[in-house]
Amino acid sequence: MEAALQTAYTATDPAAKASGRPWFFTRPKAKTGLVSWLTTVDHKKIGLLYAITALFFFLVGGVEALLIRVQLAVPNNTFISHQLYNELFTMHATTMIFLAVMPLSAAFFNYMMPLQIGARDVAFPRLNGFAFWVFMAGAIVLNVGWFTRSGAPDSGWFGYAPLTSVAYSNQFAGDSSTDLWVMGLQILGVSSVIGSLNFIVTIINMRAPGLTMMRLPVFTWMTLFTAFLIILSFPAITIALVELMMDRSFGTGFFEVAKGGLPILWQHLFWIFGHPEVYILILPAMGVVSEILPTFSRKPLFGYPIVVFSGAVIGFLGFGVWSHHMFTTGMGTMATAAFSLATMAIAVPTGVKIFNWVGTLWGGQIITRTPMMFALGFIWMFMMGGFSGVMHSAAPADAQQQDSYFVVAHFHYVLIGGSIFALLAGIHYWFPLVFGRMVSELWGKLSFWVIFVGFNVTFFPMHFLGLNGMPRRTAVYDGNMGWNSANLIASIGAFILAIGIGIYFAVMVYTYFKGKKATGDVWDARTLEWAVPTTPPPEHNFHVTPTVHARDAFWYEKTHAKEIAEEKAKQAQETEAHGGIHMPSQSWFPLVTATGLLIGGLFFTHHNFQGAIAGGCIMLLGILGWAFEGPGGYHLHIHKDGSVTGGEGQDHANH
Amino acid sequence: MRFRPADLLRRITTTLALLALPLITGGWTSGPQSTFDTKGPVAKSQLEVFNVTVYVTFAIFFIVAGVLAYATIKFRARPGTGEKAPVPDQGHGNPFIELGLIGASIAALVVIAVPTLKAIWYTYDVPEAERANAYEVTARGLQWWFQFEYPHEQIEGTGQLVTGNELVIPAGRPVRINLRTSDVIHSFWVPKLGGKVDMMPNRGNHLWLQADEPGYFWGQCAEFCGESHAVMRFRVIALGAEDFAAWLENQKKPARNVTAPVDAKPVLASYDMTPKKRNAPGYTADFDANPMAAWTAMQFPEKDEDPLLVNQGRKLFAEKNCVTCHAVRGHGASGVNAPDLTHFGSRTTLAAGLLENNKPNLHRWIVDPNNVKPGNKMYMGVNGMSGYMTADDKGRMTKEHIKVNDTEARAIVEYLHSLK
Repeated sequence: MEAALQTAYTATDPAAKASGRPWFFTRPKAKTGLVSWLTTVDHKKIGLLYAITALFFFLVGGVEALLIRVQLAVPNNTFISHQLYNELFTMHATTMIFLAVMPLSAAFFNYMMPLQIGARDVAFPRLNGFAFWVFMAGAIVLNVGWFTRSGAPDSGWFGYAPLTSVAYSNQFAGDSSTDLWVMGLQILGVSSVIGSLNFIVTIINMRAPGLTMMRLPVFTWMTLFTAFLIILSFPAITIALVELMMDRSFGTGFFEVAKGGLPILWQHLFWIFGHPEVYILILPAMGVVSEILPTFSRKPLFGYPIVVFSGAVIGFLGFGVWSHHMFTTGMGTMATAAFSLATMAIAVPTGVKIFNWVGTLWGGQIITRTPMMFALGFIWMFMMGGFSGVMHSAAPADAQQQDSYFVVAHFHYVLIGGSIFALLAGIHYWFPLVFGRMVSELWGKLSFWVIFVGFNVTFFPMHFLGLNGMPRRTAVYDGNMGWNSANLIASIGAFILAIGIGIYFAVMVYTYFKGKKATGDVWDARTLEWAVPTTPPPEHNFHVTPTVHARDAFWYEKTHAKEIAEEKAKQAQETEAHGGIHMPSQSWFPLVTATGLLIGGLFFTHHNFQGAIAGGCIMLLGILGWAFEGPGGYHLHIHKDGSVTGGEGQDHANH
Repeated sequence: MRFRPADLLRRITTTLALLALPLITGGWTSGPQSTFDTKGPVAKSQLEVFNVTVYVTFAIFFIVAGVLAYATIKFRARPGTGEKAPVPDQGHGNPFIELGLIGASIAALVVIAVPTLKAIWYTYDVPEAERANAYEVTARGLQWWFQFEYPHEQIEGTGQLVTGNELVIPAGRPVRINLRTSDVIHSFWVPKLGGKVDMMPNRGNHLWLQADEPGYFWGQCAEFCGESHAVMRFRVIALGAEDFAAWLENQKKPARNVTAPVDAKPVLASYDMTPKKRNAPGYTADFDANPMAAWTAMQFPEKDEDPLLVNQGRKLFAEKNCVTCHAVRGHGASGVNAPDLTHFGSRTTLAAGLLENNKPNLHRWIVDPNNVKPGNKMYMGVNGMSGYMTADDKGRMTKEHIKVNDTEARAIVEYLHSLK
């Protein structure tokens, strides 16, 4: 073993590297500054890149939402045109789903999951960087339409054929917005699938010793389920998007009515992705809440195995309910009945989670810190969203609710009251870990209450708007329909919500620069991410790879300090005997490859195929460079006094 | 000042109470498209299912929310202890409680599932027993208006009776509506009579509904269908058996001719026509107070109509090429791309249910259609044109939009309003 390592070691001897390797295969060394971010393979840095991008797009989507609410504040408003309104609601949904909530979840997966399983990084660090840069490419392609003559995509986030066909999407202008939408979503799909495969391999293979599957933190479990949902559901939409792309670019007839295509096929393909997508958005949130509630109740999660299995059941059933988005498409009685019952069935595992969260609180010592406030808010709001979901599951009732504001109310309760509340809770909860500073409780709680009130004032009246017959996606309404006051209240609520979000992020930015310093385990937490030696965590995460003896591994460490200390000393010796802590090298090639994809994608959407091929060539060069730059890697050495030596290109000096 | 959650809580309660006010007065559930104010068996059946879901979910909500609220308050750590609060019993859960709750959830869902299944079958098609009595019509969605076809009302030499944007049905009788589309997906929704069903290309959908009493109902396209989806609306008018028969008889007739006396002088129709802003409302309180009376009044020729102006308008209607797309049976207009206007004057609305059919509104629609309904074909032309291709004197092709001046519009308005 020792000998083998030694051989492997000399093979990457930096002296040999310096002589035999061309400049473009030299691994970048920067640990700070722009180059370090562009070439990073550190899961924590990539997590932060995801988070910052996601929060930027969260604000963009929020501004789009506010413009929509201004337009709808009063009847017969002329604030924005029909066309712009259609672009806004299309991009609001696409942005919030693909560019805000999903990447924000990915940020947590990236940053927290490896820490929670006691790993030093994900299984494929360069691939992880690549997933982020591809995500950036997709985000740019989706949004670039705002700056072109044809405008942003405008056919709704689920782009029902044949509205997306050449005949109907560019009726009055040389339109590329739908092409941008099609290409952007495909690129984002690539990113999501790559990221998910990485997470799956990481969770299966890189768990710390003793961390059996049934000891995994619930957040890591939900990461795993979400990753599986992504790799199983994204192929469906990719197929649909490729078919649509063929229709639009090369004249095929998958969805072209005149050529005998079937628009209903698009809906099936879209929703067999689209419904699991809903769980892709909510399962990470459930994971976050399942970490926060036990911490601030100071007791383990109630019914851990059932929470885990219900997550699995939700993921599984999530693939069998897609047609409840299509109850009004005339599927016939049998299919409608089957999807109605399947949808009701999925309420059971979801309900079970709520019962278990309440059970976690029961008998605890509840500390109402800000993250806990958001987590409790999550339970309340998610419960309401869940109940309106049950109302939808009854197909005959849904015939009235489908495509009305009742649905808008429902999914905002699930996605804001659910996903966003949980993710905001997570940011608060892990902020001290990531940045080493404490967010002010007073301002945190204030932001919670303003967000909570604003959210409910905005979306609660929408239930009534829907039941009172207001269809969604309508840029104007008449003043004689009984919708005026509810719309005005909703619009006022939207601004309260915006103020709340504004306070939340202003406080975060302030805390990042000026907040009270925090060190270590500020919440008396239970899971391994808090076992890191410093906050923010060092590049290599743990000085010593932790050994896990129980669920809530860190809680166990704290209650068995002496044994753990002995164990760690032994483990440290062993690591050093094997050459120290092995770390992955940075690389330019993920960025180069993703840039090729971006260039090719943009040219393709304008049907410039030479440009598309040129982009493809850059991508290919990136992949070749990636393949031939060698595995890289270097070692770090932890000394008795806690100091760290070693780094990129310094391995030789230590041997 | 110290931050006090109790104060905020009080403020929230006040806000919620204020929010509830309009509910108590019923303002939020009784609009013209209310799904609570049902007027037929299909909508009623759907509302009953909805009510069951409300009862069950509210019952569960109050129980779970009660326990959640109780637990949150009861098990709060002593204020100020923070992360130093005592460590409670580290219990991991109780499988019997879990199983019990799972069982209870399933039982609650069965309560919803049974009426759901019944209603799925009931609302899908006209019940067997009443099928013989059912009346059949076809609704066709187009960007952005509705065409209604009566396959059983054949007109000699023309084919089936066709009308636009206002569906007239017999009251007290099931109506089976075939749903078709000529372009993208639309959805047929008259909330007071029943839930929506989509009009899918390459797919023959249908729905059924019944208006128990004669009445005037608001409907709207419920599936996003492009730029002017928001203003794609329609009406359903249910009539008693005799009225319905009379209406059919009149509709089957060709368009009305108005003959002008020889010595008549044209008088420019006098109505106030100040240019309207984009999206300016096209409804009036008078009409809403009794829409059925308004509908009835529309069925008879206007007393003050000017025959000379009508005939001027009729000429302009042909000259301006309106006839290329619109049909006016008996007046030599047989276009099929746009609503059939043979009895346009008898409809209460125009521009797909968007504006009430009065003279200023019609004038506004003809003169500047894009301001009323952006992207519409009267302005843009059909088949993805951005304007009509017209040749000038030298044969050069230019793109033009509809051009009707104020005087011409007054004549065309007078003509269209004479088509009762």
